[in-house]
Amino acid sequence: MNKRLLIILLYILPIPALLVSLFIGPSDAASGGEIFKSVFGFLSGESASGNNPELLNAVVFDVRLPRILLTFLTGSALAVSGCSIQAIFRNPLTDPYILGLSSGAAFGAALAMALVFIPVQLSAFVFGLLAVGLSYFVARKNGNVSVISLILSGIIVSGIFTALLTVVQYFSDPFKLQSIVHWTMGNLHNAGWKKLQSSFIPILAGILIMFIYRWRMNVLALGDDEARTSGINPEKDKLLILLAATLASSSAVAVAGIIGLYGLIIPHIVRMMIGPDNQQSIPLNFVFGGTFLLMIDNLSRTVSGFEIPIGVFTMLLGAPFFIYLIKKTNIGWEQ
Amino acid sequence: MGAINQAITVKNLSFAFSGLKVLDDVNTTIEAGKLTFILGRNGSGKSTFLRLLAGLLAFKNGEIEILGNKSSQLSFAERAKITGFLNQQHKAVFPFKVEEVVLTGRAGCINFIPKKSDVAMAFQAIEKVGIAHLQSRIYSELSGGEQQLVMISRLLAQNPKILLLDEPTSHLDFTNQMNLLRLLKTLVAEGLTVVSVLHDPNMAFVFGDDFLFVKDKQIIRSTPNFEPWDAGFLSFVYQSKLEAIPYKGRAILVPQIKVVTG
Amino acid sequence: MKISKAIFYLIILISFLLQTACNQAVQNDRNVEKNISVTDFRGKEINLSKPATRIVCLIESALSGLYMLNAENRIMGIPSAVYNESAAAQYAVLDQRISDKKLSSPGNWDFLSMEKLVALQPDLVIIWASQQESIEAIEEKGIPVYGVFLRSFDDIYKEIDDLGKLTETSPRADSIIGFTKHEVAGINLKLPAKKQKSVYFMWSQGLLETSGTSSTANELIELAGAKNACQEPQEHIVINLENLLQWNPDVIVMWNQYPKNPDDILNMAELQNVNAVMHNNVYELPPVFWCDLWTLKFQFAAKHLVNYCAADNSEKFNLDLEKEKMIFALYGEKGEELIK
Repeated sequence: MNKRLLIILLYILPIPALLVSLFIGPSDAASGGEIFKSVFGFLSGESASGNNPELLNAVVFDVRLPRILLTFLTGSALAVSGCSIQAIFRNPLTDPYILGLSSGAAFGAALAMALVFIPVQLSAFVFGLLAVGLSYFVARKNGNVSVISLILSGIIVSGIFTALLTVVQYFSDPFKLQSIVHWTMGNLHNAGWKKLQSSFIPILAGILIMFIYRWRMNVLALGDDEARTSGINPEKDKLLILLAATLASSSAVAVAGIIGLYGLIIPHIVRMMIGPDNQQSIPLNFVFGGTFLLMIDNLSRTVSGFEIPIGVFTMLLGAPFFIYLIKKTNIGWEQ
Repeated sequence: MGAINQAITVKNLSFAFSGLKVLDDVNTTIEAGKLTFILGRNGSGKSTFLRLLAGLLAFKNGEIEILGNKSSQLSFAERAKITGFLNQQHKAVFPFKVEEVVLTGRAGCINFIPKKSDVAMAFQAIEKVGIAHLQSRIYSELSGGEQQLVMISRLLAQNPKILLLDEPTSHLDFTNQMNLLRLLKTLVAEGLTVVSVLHDPNMAFVFGDDFLFVKDKQIIRSTPNFEPWDAGFLSFVYQSKLEAIPYKGRAILVPQIKVVTG
Repeated sequence: MKISKAIFYLIILISFLLQTACNQAVQNDRNVEKNISVTDFRGKEINLSKPATRIVCLIESALSGLYMLNAENRIMGIPSAVYNESAAAQYAVLDQRISDKKLSSPGNWDFLSMEKLVALQPDLVIIWASQQESIEAIEEKGIPVYGVFLRSFDDIYKEIDDLGKLTETSPRADSIIGFTKHEVAGINLKLPAKKQKSVYFMWSQGLLETSGTSSTANELIELAGAKNACQEPQEHIVINLENLLQWNPDVIVMWNQYPKNPDDILNMAELQNVNAVMHNNVYELPPVFWCDLWTLKFQFAAKHLVNYCAADNSEKFNLDLEKEKMIFALYGEKGEELIK
């Protein structure tokens, strides 16, 4: 029953987290007190209360709100995709990034920044998709995709795109180089309504597909033979889920930049809390993945005077956790 | 009667693994409502034959008919209603609970999310195998014998007419082996057809109804006209000198011991 | 299972809400009276109903332009680099607010806090045109953005001319552009007629970082009557040491802020056969504030190059005098204190 309480708590958590985030930011013009004053003023019928209602409005609704929503969606997309990919490849140590998504997207973004006339977001998305697709088809042999060959091809594809990224960086002047480096550390500071508009449909569509297939993932997680003989075509389902995961996570990466290890860690935390049943953990990854990234982003905005890139934060938190997982879990390489 | 009684008919089946022939022009039948054991040496092709029956391997030459359906034309979902398959050993990567594992047996009948009736069927299957006490335990933390029982519950939840089992007792101790084979016997008595690969011919002769011997890319089937309790035949199949000791109209095999005196 | 169905519908609902929210937020193309209209380096038309009075300038070179235009009262935000880099002392002289660290900085051109920027309520933001993602996010909030991309000295004239229009200081803009063009013409008069020297331009990142023919550095070298040793087409290029030896430049010019000084280059064993090293012709330009290639001060850098390339007996610029003349012309009465 304790677990049920925990689950309910996890579902409710995003509401206070979203609200609190609206109050957090570097500018005094929209501090908590000012917002309360303005809300109170609005309720009591005064039109112009607070110091500068127009500015307050701009900061809260045009700067903070789109960023909060985008951060939440990004966290959700990475967590749900990570959980799905771990389930279908029966490997708790994979996520979209290990399949080459991040290096593909980083190369795409860098290329766009170097050539100026290509939109960064589109290019990051296309190359992220391309990298995962390449990993998948390199690993595919006789209609089968084995775990080891997928991880290996992910490493190779990542290597190729990292090399290409280095080439782009090498030929970029210091100004462009600096932009590229910033992009690869997380890009949420450029969040806005337009970015949200251009990304939320593919993100939510991908999440929705994974949500629909969430119980199937339990079957796929048992193994190909077991899935096949109980009436499911594992290759078809895996490909569809992989497509959905890639769609969601590359759309997220395209707007948010590289947020390392996040898609690996959140599914593990959720699994530790409520167990491996994907029927429950997919929606919980959605709410918890979003909420947790929001909290990290709040931290990165407030912990010091300047913004610490969010990708750096997740990487520093994630790496020790990853090492802990390697030490603790037995990875099922057999079969 | 004949045709109705055949659960599986294999006609002119040949199969090769990357050019190496494993089965050559095999013709045989498996009768419905019986416990049939597939026997033979390691590498003789027992498991390959079983996987061909389960549709896990595709063949080019010959045909397998399962309850009147051509195997090559069955979809995954259609096949799941007819045959269920149990792997030799199953390793779980994620710490699923027993009930969650058993429920996945219903996959063929579930669109996306299990209904209450599916959960109920899974629970019935768990009770039938007698592992209700394990229901909420973590599958990967169970003993080998318990894990096999869970996987058999999963097959029963799937509710096929024919069970295909690949060496279900290979990792079990003597007591667990007997318990599992008794369970299979019960299931057959309730109307299921069970086909199982088995290492131990003695256990097979104690529990089985019919026997298929895989030898030299061929399958030799026991019939009323051909009873295999002949020490010569079995020594040929197992390529070892054996003595057959009569037991309840069948035989128990004992190896001949060559004592070297010096 | 109930919860999951609820989530399914929730996702659909969120989608619709987001769609409407985005549409409303993005549709704030306000109708502006086109009293002031300039086209920036992206080719985008910037329309202001009145001259900009709250400018956030995220480029240091453009910021120096605003000070030359005497538009400092219109500056509300500056790049954070101004506080940390070599020109901090000069800016402290130019603006008491910078000296007191009271002029807000919402970030740098490459990384900025959107919230701090919006909180400054700017009516114009100046940023590099290549920062398309940041520009999109700023414009979306209804704030006009002037995007800068400088490929040539003519681009600097255009930038100053545009900034003059945007800040109601066109006469001043004409005057400082006129001064600079006059100085450039003066350089042309001084050039020796015959032999062109070859100059290797070395950026602050290291010996092998240079600029090819499509760069302001190339333009600078040609303005000084010399020839770029690097004839590759790239704007920025990292070369091989062998290239440098093969090109064998007569003069090596180092951009300032380099941890090394000309002596380090002169002492490099592998460069001993290079003309510039053999004849002691390795020079370092003065600190960037005095000869920034992306400001009207580029002509002062060109004068340095003319002197570097000049034969020993030929007439040279008196650089101290030239510096004083330039600073007074560009910064007016504050020039005196700057020179100190």
